[in-house]
Amino acid sequence: MEGLFYAWQAVTSMPVLLAAIGGVTWGILGGALPGISPSIAMALLLPFTYNLPPLVAVVLLASVYVGAEYGGSIPAILIRTPGTNSAAATVIDGYEMQLQGRGGEALGLSLVGGTIGGLFGLILLSTLTEPLASLALYFTPPAYFALGILGISIIGSLSEGALLKGLIAGVIGMMIATVGTDPISGVSRFTFGKPELLEGIHFILVMLGIFAVAELMAQAGEDRWTEGSQPKASNARLKLPSLATLWRLRTAQAIGCVLGAIEGAIPGGGGSVAAFLSYNEARRWSKEPEKFGKGSEEGVIAPETANNVVSATAIVPTLSFGIPGSNSTAILLGGFLIHGLQPGPLLFTTNPEIVYGLFGGLFTANIMMFLLGIVILGPCIWLVKRPKPYLMAAIFGLVVSGVYSIDHSLFDLAVVLMAGLVGFVMRKLGFPTLPLILGLVLGYMIESNYRRSLLITNGDHIVFLQDGVSLGLLLCAALIIGFSALREIRRLREPLVLPEAPDQGSKSGPASISS
Amino acid sequence: MRGNLVTGILLLIFSVVFWFGADAIPKSRLSGSVGADGLPKMLAIALAVLSAGLIAQTLLTMKAAVQTAGADLNARAEQRALYLRAFGMIAIGAGYLVLVPYLGYILTIALLLLTVALYNGKRPSVGLFLFAALGSVFFYVLFVQVLAVPLPAGFWPRLIG
Repeated sequence: MEGLFYAWQAVTSMPVLLAAIGGVTWGILGGALPGISPSIAMALLLPFTYNLPPLVAVVLLASVYVGAEYGGSIPAILIRTPGTNSAAATVIDGYEMQLQGRGGEALGLSLVGGTIGGLFGLILLSTLTEPLASLALYFTPPAYFALGILGISIIGSLSEGALLKGLIAGVIGMMIATVGTDPISGVSRFTFGKPELLEGIHFILVMLGIFAVAELMAQAGEDRWTEGSQPKASNARLKLPSLATLWRLRTAQAIGCVLGAIEGAIPGGGGSVAAFLSYNEARRWSKEPEKFGKGSEEGVIAPETANNVVSATAIVPTLSFGIPGSNSTAILLGGFLIHGLQPGPLLFTTNPEIVYGLFGGLFTANIMMFLLGIVILGPCIWLVKRPKPYLMAAIFGLVVSGVYSIDHSLFDLAVVLMAGLVGFVMRKLGFPTLPLILGLVLGYMIESNYRRSLLITNGDHIVFLQDGVSLGLLLCAALIIGFSALREIRRLREPLVLPEAPDQGSKSGPASISS
Repeated sequence: MRGNLVTGILLLIFSVVFWFGADAIPKSRLSGSVGADGLPKMLAIALAVLSAGLIAQTLLTMKAAVQTAGADLNARAEQRALYLRAFGMIAIGAGYLVLVPYLGYILTIALLLLTVALYNGKRPSVGLFLFAALGSVFFYVLFVQVLAVPLPAGFWPRLIG
């Protein structure tokens, strides 16, 4: 009942309502722009959340995530260019419907499917996370240390074919987290006499650099994304599906809901995996599978429902354990940490108003997405049609100005540019960036709990094995890394296919695919 | 693959440097049984082990796939040109960083908008200059007037008196 009270308070609070409207609007516009992922749209807003009340800040960020998942489908349907990765599956039938003059119907299906998915995901989020709060009683400093290690191990190991690179990125993230004043003794570390580094390198700066600046760098050499692909105005009027149509498409929606729920809760699963899985399953279970790829309504509503379910269920591991499973939830975690809130089992007891307020805010965001989705289409199309150089310039302007608003320091901007450079190089070398972010975000928690644990036992590391929860979590981390290593070794033993020199390749014996 | 090898070696060197950096952290009585250097040293060791693993993995892979080396020099040159273009964005950002304290926010942000758009393929036109001018005014109003962020004013206040 207490939870419902907090959620209701959030739903009826004007600042939260404005945050939900602003976040969803920004999310839809950002998602509609190819190249701006939900995480980049969230990262660009992160500096502005600094001075906001904690609940308003987290609702704003979560609403961007919700809006961006729908926004991505707009260019996917209208110009065959998915605005976000998770909208890639929508292109297949959505664009076919657009070619048949049914683009408005496809947009309507995407909007309604997304809203239903978002609300279904929210129900799961609010019911799944609360029981996990009871775990708080079993968490001691060694367990928190082990939880952090497990989080980095999971995310590092998820990097397909790049286990070592994922783990290296996680370690580098933790190294960056050690810069600044030591949390226990107050000694300064790796500050090189720079007073700006005494408080450490703020993860907001690294996130902005790695997500936004690195993306701008990556796009600097690419072709224009909208040239020659103007949406037809006649087809771009949104048409909501009737209740009868929705009933007819119930199986596809149910598939989207179930798969979105499963994929969202698994770290690294993400909206794109859920969307493609839902698309395939919807086709398998459909009475008209032959229509898929030729403008099937089920082919649009299934992936769109799934990726909006993910936008809610992906928050489950973040809120319950403080371990984000995707870039977007890592930024949401950053939004919590900025305001001194540590997501995890204790958050439900220390700050229930934030947790349940977020649920209320997400409810508002989903309703707002439905209402705004109807009216915002025009501005989205206008924005998508802008030349890419203008958009890139505007985003860069927003980054350099937003960074300064955090601490009024140009040094921060230098850090962002440096982080952008590092992020770009990491991408090109095949290093995943999420483990670095996670290492940086969890670094303080890991170190402080590690040191606290050892203070209790006077330096005896056995404490991590004596504590049952800690032992269990560390064993899980070891098993995850072990299984990933085995998979990698097996992959290395597979024969290499060399398309450039097939004859030579067949003579060379066992080899591996280069990363 | 050569990139992986070079990265592995650089990371290995970095781990050694980081270890020595951690070793130089002053000792404090408040630190407890594990000093401020404890975790950084552990991380340096972890990075050294992982980068050694990356080097070994890359060497094994290279040995088997050596036939493809040098197969596409043109693609590599194109790739290099793309990287240089990308680094150009950082150079523009660095230019902004250097100029903003002197020229002030409104002028520098206009220059940044203009340069980024030009750099990414927009031809000089009235529309482009209008975009830079109006964009800088929009950013100025948003950040300085609405959000009250004290962005650098540059030489303008001195000029006015």
